[in-house]
Amino acid sequence: MNHTDQHDTLVLGAPSLHQVSEDISHITERKTPRWWYIAITLSGSMMLVLIGMIGWLFYKGIGIWGNNTPVGWAFDITNFVFWVGIGHAGTLISAVLYLLRQRWRTSINRFAEAMTLFAVICAGIWPTIHTGRPWYDYWLLPYPNQMGMWPQFRSPLNWDVFAVGTYFTVSLLFWYTGLIPDLATLRDRAKGRIRQIVLGIFALGWRGSQKQWKHWELAYLILAGIATPLVLSVHSVVSTDFATSIIPGWHSTIFPPYFVAGAIFSGFAMVLTLIIPARKIFGMEKYITLNHFDKMAKVILLTGMMVSFAYLIEIFIAWYSGNPYERFTFLNRAAGPYTWGFWIMITCNVVVPQTLWFRKLRRSIPYLFVISLLVNVGMWFERFNIIVTSLHRDFLPSSWGMFRPTIFDLGMLAGSFGLFLTLFLIFLRFLPMISISEVKKLAFEEQEHERNAHPRATPEIGRSS
Amino acid sequence: MQFNPKTYRLDNTASLGRAFLLIGILGLAIGCVGLITDPVRFFRSYLVAEVFWISLGIGALFFVLMHHLTGSVWSVVVRRIPEAMTATLMIMAVAFIPVLIGLHDLYPWSHPEAATEHAIAAKSSYLNPPFFIFRTVIYFGAMIWMAGALHRASLRQDRESHGDHQRISRSISARSVVPFAFICSFAAFDWLMSLTPSWYSTIFGVAFFCGAAVGALSLITLTAIFLHHRGVLKREITGEHYYDLGKLIFAFVIMWTYMSFSQYMLIWYANIPEEVAWYQQRSGSWLPLSLLLPVGHFIVPFVALMAQSAKRNLTVLTLVSLWLLVVHWLNLYWYVLPNFSRTIDLSWMDAALTVGLGGLFIWWFWRRLTAQALIPVGDPHLEESVNFVSEY
Repeated sequence: MNHTDQHDTLVLGAPSLHQVSEDISHITERKTPRWWYIAITLSGSMMLVLIGMIGWLFYKGIGIWGNNTPVGWAFDITNFVFWVGIGHAGTLISAVLYLLRQRWRTSINRFAEAMTLFAVICAGIWPTIHTGRPWYDYWLLPYPNQMGMWPQFRSPLNWDVFAVGTYFTVSLLFWYTGLIPDLATLRDRAKGRIRQIVLGIFALGWRGSQKQWKHWELAYLILAGIATPLVLSVHSVVSTDFATSIIPGWHSTIFPPYFVAGAIFSGFAMVLTLIIPARKIFGMEKYITLNHFDKMAKVILLTGMMVSFAYLIEIFIAWYSGNPYERFTFLNRAAGPYTWGFWIMITCNVVVPQTLWFRKLRRSIPYLFVISLLVNVGMWFERFNIIVTSLHRDFLPSSWGMFRPTIFDLGMLAGSFGLFLTLFLIFLRFLPMISISEVKKLAFEEQEHERNAHPRATPEIGRSS
Repeated sequence: MQFNPKTYRLDNTASLGRAFLLIGILGLAIGCVGLITDPVRFFRSYLVAEVFWISLGIGALFFVLMHHLTGSVWSVVVRRIPEAMTATLMIMAVAFIPVLIGLHDLYPWSHPEAATEHAIAAKSSYLNPPFFIFRTVIYFGAMIWMAGALHRASLRQDRESHGDHQRISRSISARSVVPFAFICSFAAFDWLMSLTPSWYSTIFGVAFFCGAAVGALSLITLTAIFLHHRGVLKREITGEHYYDLGKLIFAFVIMWTYMSFSQYMLIWYANIPEEVAWYQQRSGSWLPLSLLLPVGHFIVPFVALMAQSAKRNLTVLTLVSLWLLVVHWLNLYWYVLPNFSRTIDLSWMDAALTVGLGGLFIWWFWRRLTAQALIPVGDPHLEESVNFVSEY
């Protein structure tokens, strides 16, 4: 009873509890549909492009990219920040919205958490291969060794290793903890012996006793509490890769919260991009309703405005600082050789989300799909804009230069989408894409509420009041 | 003071209000002696006191905006307290006039000869007295309009059973929230950051806002507890509501720390002369206070409010809220005074003026709070809010 909007139903058609299990488990149990093979062939091919290009990169070196003095960071770090950002919606939905008692998160949290894990995997590739000698990447980890060599703890690049590593670990644990009761449901429904054994192992002996539920709920709450600071810390640390420097356009104290808002903004957009087709294909309209879309659109509107706020404050302070280099950087972004990148960013991140003030558009699924794509384009360009425009023209005009992406830059960016989609398709096929146990609880509570409102209706589900 | 459980109003409250008004007038009168003996120092104390009490109004306005935008149910029973607090913005707008009189003593950019310095000349089209006054008028005008419109809609809801007051309040809040965010940031830039005009930090406004939210939430909690101890609203504002207020204080304490640490760490790390100078002003003799802030504004409330039981314990909440109001004041003092003085510079005027303006603030706050039902009796979610139980 936390929200005036909660009477907007979140589970349509009052399904019975068995029906909920049936609807969601069924996807993982039936014969693999033909479209799935086609889809994974396409995404898998894109992934192979990535793998092939990484192989070539290891052979030739990172000179195959367009990176060169003065633009030492370009697509690689842009992609890293982009993918880490995508991951943020998962933790926000699963942890922060849980603590804020937002019940609508229930139908989409599993989906978003899986997306987080895959996005972080995609993100991890870039700094790993960007080091140039990836076989020495374990040097990033602090461990006692006979060389007496330690990583530079004062370097934000090293903080990234810890921040992203912690984030991935906690997200994985959180996701898995949530999955346990559902894995047990699948195990109990499983027909084949092998399926029973495999699911049985991963369900960790879950029996659904009251004691187990009590422990599980406490563990879930504690993990939500631990994951909440991670929503802020990861992208804050990523932002310090730039903000600790003295490069105009990179050194700005608002970067940590500004990056976090942008990460949630792009993450929610990616949830929409994926959930809209998935909901249609798997017939999940009952569980993912227009009310869910309305609320996700509001989060996009809110975080979009936070990002816009940061843009304006940054531009204002660049002027206010009186520092000619700061002022030049922002003028150069808006009117220099990469002006198109800046204006794509402004259009997609500042202008387009404003249309979500209208309830009609927040509830139009085709419109939200288009918006979600535009927001992700905008957020990719935001990172490109920050990274490349600040580097390519710094203090001395004699050291100015341009960055032009090569076929490897473009191919690897496309390939990372292939990897992401491949992992996602595997998830959709083999694991329940919606949390069965949590949706059951939600459906039960809503029906209970309905019965209390109309006491004459006969109860369908047991448990006397 | 007598509570009428039918109308949810407090009767015979005028004497308490008068007492606060008297404290206010006395404090200001004593403080004004300083205007004669040491006018330069007077304006510094006055600015700290003024911004402190304004910030509580700003934080309360944020609470009301968020209440309507998120459609929260639990906060319905406490809503009247921040609503009455926002009414003080009017008083504080009038009380801002002495700051404008002391403009030349406070703000180096207001001197024509300052324009010869490059860093100040470059921004003289923004930092000049007429534009500064114009902006301050806009900030107050806009915030008073937002607060007034929401307060009036809330009171109409008490009287009229028809009409969709919730929808109206939500639409006012939705239209206000973007201007509100900019007002918070720019007011902090103008009133506090420009005291050292060569210094700049993009996050400064957000850090100020988080401090204001901590202060306002503390005062809201203290007011509810004060009523509780007088036997008022004991059944309506329950442990569940205190628990949520405690969680909000806890969250904003962390947000303040996050913003302030981001600012400090990035400036320390980059070590750019014009930025780091601001923190150098706050080292040396100021160092003990600079170190007290992370301890007092973060570690102490963080540890004290960590446990679930602590957020339901009124004694703990009272102590933490009082403590946070003190450190919030110290934080603002630390923003202002080191701009002028290399050594810690506490003056009797700090106390007199803070108490003086506080008397006026509480007098008006109390007047507005008791002029109406203490809970929004017409709110359709009132019953749900009273019976609210936090799941976790």
